[in-house]
Amino acid sequence: MKDEKVVWFSAFRHVVPADYENWLEKMAAEGWQTGRFRQWSSMYMTFTRGEPRKYRFVYDPQVSPRKDYISTYEQFGWEYLGRMASAHFWRMEYTDKRPEAFSDKDSKADRTRRTIKAISVSFFIFIALEILYAVMLTIYRNSLSVSDKKQLIIAEAFFCLLTVALGVVVLIVRKNEKR
Amino acid sequence: MMNLEQARKRYLPMSETMFYILLSLKQERHGYAIMQHVKELTDARIELGAGTVYSSLGKLESDGLIESVKEEDRRKIYVITPMGRGILREEALRIAELHRNSEGLL
Repeated sequence: MKDEKVVWFSAFRHVVPADYENWLEKMAAEGWQTGRFRQWSSMYMTFTRGEPRKYRFVYDPQVSPRKDYISTYEQFGWEYLGRMASAHFWRMEYTDKRPEAFSDKDSKADRTRRTIKAISVSFFIFIALEILYAVMLTIYRNSLSVSDKKQLIIAEAFFCLLTVALGVVVLIVRKNEKR
Repeated sequence: MMNLEQARKRYLPMSETMFYILLSLKQERHGYAIMQHVKELTDARIELGAGTVYSSLGKLESDGLIESVKEEDRRKIYVITPMGRGILREEALRIAELHRNSEGLL
């Protein structure tokens, strides 16, 4: 049995925040534990085999949290796991009652709004990059070597793919904003 | 910062969460103490979550209904402002009216 599991594009597979939390919870219950969350965890993430645990995870997008952000959560008993882009991750072990970080409709809806905003930012960054690459390809079309052109085209295609994926993610999150 | 008219538009009628946070801040408190106080006041019916408390405090502070008075080991302590009191009072009047009009239903 392998003791490590690599998950690619996890944030694209479970795009609704509540689904992502539930997926992490299920992994932990099966004994797959994550370490820290990092910038690129949405694309590449490793789990190691350990004891099965009953954790409640929280996905909370905060672009620029105030300085009492971490201490507020910690006082409520949450353990900080790090951030993946602008999304901060928390967990709490529990037995009976599943703890909630967002206790009313308004703050749940706000969390969805922040999620959509965060994804939209990367969406527009990738669109900007695509335009930049397209302009470069046009301006330097005569002076670039074939292999340079090839690289630029591959990069362009990659950004296009990501943009489409992010666009789809925004639509799905929006459709499930009540959860 | 909002003026009173903007605050009315944004906060009235008020959600239970906002009502109880403002009510708790008639005394200086930090986030966790607010949760404990509200839990006690409502016989554990309302248990505010960390994310809800954090984001509500941020909103109320930037709109000028509460202010932070000091910091104790990385915890910010807040208190209601005169405008916050005014809004809370208007909400209390609205709830009193609801209460009067629901007599006979129980």
